[in-house]
Amino acid sequence: MREREERFTSPARNWVRWMQRIGAGDRVTYVTLGSAALVRWMVALGGYSGQADAPMHGDYEAQRHWMELTLHLPPTKWYFYDLPYWGLDYPPITAYVSWVCGWIGSQINKDWFALEKSRGYESDSSRVFMRATVLALDLAIYVPCIVLFCRRWFAYRSRRTQELATITLLLQPALILIDHGHFQYNNVMLGLSLYAILCFREGKDLLGAAAFVCSMTFKQMALYYAPAVFGYLLGKCFWLGWREGRTLFLGLAVVSTLTLLSTLIPFLPPFAPFPETLLQVVHRIFPVARGLFEDKVSNFWCASDPIIHWRRRLSNEMLVRFSGIGTVGAAALPMLHLLRVSWGAGGRQQRNVASPALRLLPWAMFNSAMAFFLFSFQVHEKSILLPLMPLTLLLGDRGSEADDGDDTWEWGVLVNNMGVLTMWPLLSKDGQALNYFVLPLFWNYLIGYNPLRLSSGWFLRFLTLVCAVPCTYAMTHADPVQSSYTLIAILHIMEATVPPPQRYPDLWVVARVAVGCGVFGLAWLWGLRKQLEVGWGIGTFHAAPAPPRLQSKTK
Amino acid sequence: MSSPPSTLSRRRPSGLPSAPSGLSKSVEIQEARTSKEPWLTSEERDVLVLSTVMKVVLFPAYHSTDFEVHRNWLAITHSLPISKWYFDTTSEWTLDYPPFFAYFEYLLSWPAALIDPGITTLNNLGYAAWSCVAYQRWTVIISELVMAAALLRFVRSSSDPSLQRVISASLFLHPGFIIVDHIHFQYNGFMYGILLWSILAARNGQLLKSGILFAVLLNFKHIYMYIAPAYFVYLLRAYCFNPRGSFLIQNFIKLGASVAGIFAVSLGPFLAMGQIPQLLSRLFPFTRGLNHAYWAANAWALVTAADRVLLQCKSMQLVRLTLFPTLLIGAKLRGTSLTINTSGVESTSRGLVGDTHFAILPNIEPRHTFIVTILFQLIFLAKLWRKPDYKSFVHALTLCGYCSFMFGWHVHEKAVLLILVPLSLLAADDYAHYRTFVMASLAGIVGLFPLLFTPAEWFIKVGYSAIWFAVVLPGLARRCPRPTPTWIGEIVHRLEGLYIYGFVALQLAVTAFTAVLAWKSPDPGAPPEIPLNLTTSGNLLEATTSSPLQRSSLSQMEFLPLMMTSVYCAVGITWAFLRLSWLYIKSS
Repeated sequence: MREREERFTSPARNWVRWMQRIGAGDRVTYVTLGSAALVRWMVALGGYSGQADAPMHGDYEAQRHWMELTLHLPPTKWYFYDLPYWGLDYPPITAYVSWVCGWIGSQINKDWFALEKSRGYESDSSRVFMRATVLALDLAIYVPCIVLFCRRWFAYRSRRTQELATITLLLQPALILIDHGHFQYNNVMLGLSLYAILCFREGKDLLGAAAFVCSMTFKQMALYYAPAVFGYLLGKCFWLGWREGRTLFLGLAVVSTLTLLSTLIPFLPPFAPFPETLLQVVHRIFPVARGLFEDKVSNFWCASDPIIHWRRRLSNEMLVRFSGIGTVGAAALPMLHLLRVSWGAGGRQQRNVASPALRLLPWAMFNSAMAFFLFSFQVHEKSILLPLMPLTLLLGDRGSEADDGDDTWEWGVLVNNMGVLTMWPLLSKDGQALNYFVLPLFWNYLIGYNPLRLSSGWFLRFLTLVCAVPCTYAMTHADPVQSSYTLIAILHIMEATVPPPQRYPDLWVVARVAVGCGVFGLAWLWGLRKQLEVGWGIGTFHAAPAPPRLQSKTK
Repeated sequence: MSSPPSTLSRRRPSGLPSAPSGLSKSVEIQEARTSKEPWLTSEERDVLVLSTVMKVVLFPAYHSTDFEVHRNWLAITHSLPISKWYFDTTSEWTLDYPPFFAYFEYLLSWPAALIDPGITTLNNLGYAAWSCVAYQRWTVIISELVMAAALLRFVRSSSDPSLQRVISASLFLHPGFIIVDHIHFQYNGFMYGILLWSILAARNGQLLKSGILFAVLLNFKHIYMYIAPAYFVYLLRAYCFNPRGSFLIQNFIKLGASVAGIFAVSLGPFLAMGQIPQLLSRLFPFTRGLNHAYWAANAWALVTAADRVLLQCKSMQLVRLTLFPTLLIGAKLRGTSLTINTSGVESTSRGLVGDTHFAILPNIEPRHTFIVTILFQLIFLAKLWRKPDYKSFVHALTLCGYCSFMFGWHVHEKAVLLILVPLSLLAADDYAHYRTFVMASLAGIVGLFPLLFTPAEWFIKVGYSAIWFAVVLPGLARRCPRPTPTWIGEIVHRLEGLYIYGFVALQLAVTAFTAVLAWKSPDPGAPPEIPLNLTTSGNLLEATTSSPLQRSSLSQMEFLPLMMTSVYCAVGITWAFLRLSWLYIKSS
C-alpha cells in the first residue's frame, strides 16, 4: 500500500493532502477553480492568432469579425456576407454566441464591433474583452462540467483522488493554449459534449442527446464524437429490449431533430428563402473544396504525403472519397464494438440508468475522434483537442484498482504532450512560444509525470511497435517514450539552429509531423485494444445486475 | 555584491533531511543552484517550481516605467565610466539608488550587452524588445533566489520547520512581490532577501554578521533607513553592551569598522572623485510632496481624506451662504469659512506630485512628519533597549518600518512590504499576532492594487491575492487557536471581520467605478492610436513624476476609486499598527 502511495505521488497530490491536513480540505476545489482561471488568464496575456498581422489577421480576428457581422446583419445574411474576409463557417450556435458577445461588447464600446470599420481592431481594452468572453464561457460551461465529471464519474474514489482529477483535467495544457492563447472557443464544444456524457451517466439520455446536438451545432468538429455517441445511444436502445428500446429510440430521434431544427430556425422557411440559405449554411460548415489538409497536421495524409504525394496523384474528389471511406471505416470500429457490448450486456434494464457500456464511452469517443483526426479530410492541428478530451478524462482514474498495472495514465499524458508538441508551429507563430514550453512542463511536473522514471511492462511491447518510427535514433535508443521526447527536443534545437536544406524547406516540420503521427497512430491502435479489453470486462461482469460502484452516491 | 551568495552557502547547517535524489533534473533546480540547495525537500522544490513558472508566465504582463528606469541604469553603468554615473541625465530616469545597486546593475549589464546590445545603449530610450523584457525579468527571478536561500535557512534552523516552511513559502509567493517585482518591475525580492538573511543572522546570534548585512542592504537601497533605528539600538544594546550593561569596546570597534568598511567600499570611489554631494542630491531629492501620486495607505491618507471631507462640508456651507446673502454678514463666515486655504482647494487635483496643501487642516511639513515618526519610533526603541532579544528585535524592526510608513514624508505604497515581510515572521506567534498579520496583509496588499491599473492585470492581482490568502491563512491559523475572548475582544473581533469582508465590497465598488469611467471616456485604443495608448500607460502612476490624473479631464473622478482604496486600506493599516504596538509594548 505504501509503495502504491509512493508510485502515485505528485506535487498536486501532496498539496491536496496538505490542504486536507491543515483542515482546509473544503477549500481545495475553490482554490483549484481559482488557479485554473488564473492560469487561463495568464496565458491570455500572451499573443494570439494573427496579432498585429494586417490585413488578414487570424482566428482572433475571425471571431471578432463574426461578432461584428452577427451584430449588424440579419441572420439570413450571416452566411453570405463577404466570404473571403473570414466568412462565417461555423454552425449557428457559434453565430448566436458571437451575437451575444458582440452585443455586450458594443454596449461597452461601439467601436469594437462597428460594421466594416472595426476590422483588425485590437486595442488593449477590446483585447481584454475578447479574452474575457473566452474565459467566461470556459468558466460557465467547460469548467463546471469537468468538476461535475470528476465528482460523478469517480464517485467511488476518495475525495482526494477526485480533487486531483479536477486539477489534472482543468490544467490540461493543450486546450488552455489553444483557447486562451491562440484564441478559439473549443471549450464550449467540448464542455457541451462532456455534459452529454454526464447526462448519459445519469440516465438522462434525451437531455444528453440534445446537449450533444448543441455541441455539434456550436462547432461541427464535435462530429468526431458522433459515431461513439450514436453507438452508445443505439446500444442502449438494444440493451433496453424491443419495447423500451423502441420508445427511447423514437424519443432520441425526435429530440435530436427538434434540437437541430430549433438551432436552425432563422435559416428556415418563414424567415429565409428555403433551400438557398440552408444549403449555404451547410456548404459553409462543410467546406469540401479546401483540400486534403492545410498546413502541417500530424495525421496519416500529411505524414505520408512526402512519400506518396497524394495531391499529385489523385484528384480532390477522389481524395475526398478515399478519406471519407477511410474515416468511416476507422470510426465505425469503436461504434460497432459499443453496439456489440451493449447488445450482450445484462444488468438492470431501465431507462433512467446508464447502460453498462457507459464505461466504454470515453474510449469509444477517443477512438472515433482519433480516427477522424488521422484519416479525415481538412484536419487542423488543433483538432487533436477532440481525441485528447476523452483521453484526458481517463487520466483522473490514476491509481484505481482497475488501473493497477495499467498504462492508461502514461499513455494519456504522452498523447497529451504530443498534442501540444505538434502545435508548436501554430503557437510559435501566435507569440505563445513561452507558454508552449512552460505550461506543459508545469502540468507534467504538477501531476508527477516524469518520462525518465516510468516503469511498466508495456514499454517492451511498445518498443517493438515504435521501431516502425522511421528514425534511427528511436531504434538505437532503448526507450520509446523517451525517444519520442528526445526526437522532439532534437527537432526543436535543429529548427532553432540549423537551416533546413534548400531542397526540403519543410524538413523539420515534416519530421515533427512524422513523429506526432507515429505516436497518435500507435495511441489509436492502443485505444482500440483498450476498448476491447474494457468491453470484455463489461461482458464478463454484466451478465449479472450492475455492480454498486456504477450507482452514484448522489442518488 | 558577490559576497552575499558566498557567505550564504558557507554556513549551511549539515545533517538535514535530504530530498530524494535524482529529482534535481528539472530546469528550475538548476537555477536554484546559485543558492546551492542540494537539501531541497520535495515541498520546497514544488514551491520553487510553482513560483518560477508563474513568474515566467507573467513575462508579457504590463510593466511600469520602473522597467525603463532599470534598463536605463543598465545602459548608464555599462556605457559610462563610473565618474559619470550619478551625473548622467540622458534619460529622465536618472540613477538614484546607492552605489551597491549601481554595481549590481553594472554586473547585470554585461550579460545584457551580450544578449542584446540594444539593452545597454544609452540613447535607446524606452527600449522594450522581447529580448530586453525577457532578460530583465529573468534577472529579477534569479536575483530573488537570494530570498529563497534566506527563507530556506529560516526553515532549516527553525524549531518548528513545518510552520516556518509555511511562512517561508508564503513570503516567497507573496502577492506583494508578484505585483511589485514581477509585474510592476523592481528588485525587492533580492533586497528583502538580504534583509531576511540579516534577520536570520540576528536570530542565530551572529550580530556582527547581521549588522554587516544590513549595512550592505542600506547601500543597495536607502529606503531601508526606515528600519535602521531598530538595527542601531539592537546592535548597540545586544552586541556592544553585555547583559549587565557594561560597554564592550572591542565589539563596538569591530562593528563600527565593519560597517564603515562596507560604506567605504560603496561610497569610496565617489568620495575619491568628490562626488558625494551630487550622489546625495540624487538619493534624497527633497522636492516631493507629502503624499505620493497615489496616497500610500497611511496616516496622512486619513488626514488628507479628512481635509477633503471638511472642505466639501465647507464649500457646501459657502454655497448656502452665497445663496442667502443676508447671512453673509453673519459671524459664522468670519469665524470659519474664510480660513479655507486657496492653494489647498487647487491641490484637490489631489495626488499630483508636488506639495499637498490642506484646505482646512494645518499644513504638514517634512519636519512635522519627521518628528512624529521619531517620537513613535522612540517608544519602541526604548522597549527594545530594555528587552534586547530576537523576538523583541523583529517587533521593533517591524514597528520602526511601520512608523516610517505611517508618518513618513512622501511614502510610496510599495514601502508597505517593509512592514509585511518582517511581520510575516511573527505571524504565527499567537492568535493576536496572527490576526494583526491578517489585517495588515489584507490592507497592505489591497493597497498595492492601484499599482496595476491595466484591465488585463486586474484579474491577476485580485485572483492571485485571493488564492494566496485562501491557502496561507489556514496554514498559519491552525497553529494559533483563538483564546476565549472577553466581551470587548469579541466586539473588536466582529468589527474586524466586518472590515475584512468590506474588502469585497471595496473591490466591487472600485472596479465598477473604474469600469464606468472607462466606459464614459473614449477608448484610446483604436488601431492607429495604439502607440499613444502605450506611451500614456507607460507614464502612469509612476514613482517620480506623473499620475493618472494627467490623462484626461475626468481626472478628479478617476482619483476617487484610488482614494477609496487608499483610505479604506489606511484604516486597516492603522488598526494593525495599533494592535502590533500594543502587543509589543505589553509583552514582557
